[in-house]
Amino acid sequence: MSNGFEFKLSHFQSMLLFALVISVAFGFLSRRGPLDRVKYIVWSLFLFLLIGVGIGWAMYPFSR
Amino acid sequence: MTDEIIAPAASRHDSGLQARAVIVGVAGWIVPGLGHALLKMWGRALACFLMVGLLVLVGAGMRGNLFTSSGNDAFDSLGYIADMGAGSFYFLARSLEKSGADVSHATGDYGTRFLATAGVLNLLAALHAYEVARGRKA
Repeated sequence: MSNGFEFKLSHFQSMLLFALVISVAFGFLSRRGPLDRVKYIVWSLFLFLLIGVGIGWAMYPFSR
Repeated sequence: MTDEIIAPAASRHDSGLQARAVIVGVAGWIVPGLGHALLKMWGRALACFLMVGLLVLVGAGMRGNLFTSSGNDAFDSLGYIADMGAGSFYFLARSLEKSGADVSHATGDYGTRFLATAGVLNLLAALHAYEVARGRKA
């Protein structure tokens, strides 16, 4: 049964969206100037993705 | 003598500041971003509103589980607290999920995390607004 407002995201899309949203929110809450915020957001997003993909690779040998 | 005159005035000022901070914090919890908007921090207010809103929309669209107060165990209760952190957006998510949660697939499970994150993020933003209103943070 569909409620009309429903969609599916892949694992990577979900992680990317999550990382982006959290990075933007943290950037705005913890930094004041626009440049500081952009730097924080880009760095945080990069680390989210790096660590996320890294953990994925680290778990790969135990996946089966 | 001077101290005796100043002390009650300072105390009244502190209690006024504290009351205002509580109002800002509660407003920020009920409507994401409203706490910062009351402090005229428009960028932060907009960011909180949009990010919490986006997490709720995506979480509900992925049919994540929205916990209720009638949970069976501690995890359900913690999930309810996290979900309720989104304030009025909790009810928005509930109204969007007309056919209920579906956590039989990974998508629904991710949706559950998105909804909980929206709540926790909003609590963090409300706490930030409260601290700013108390003069502890910039």
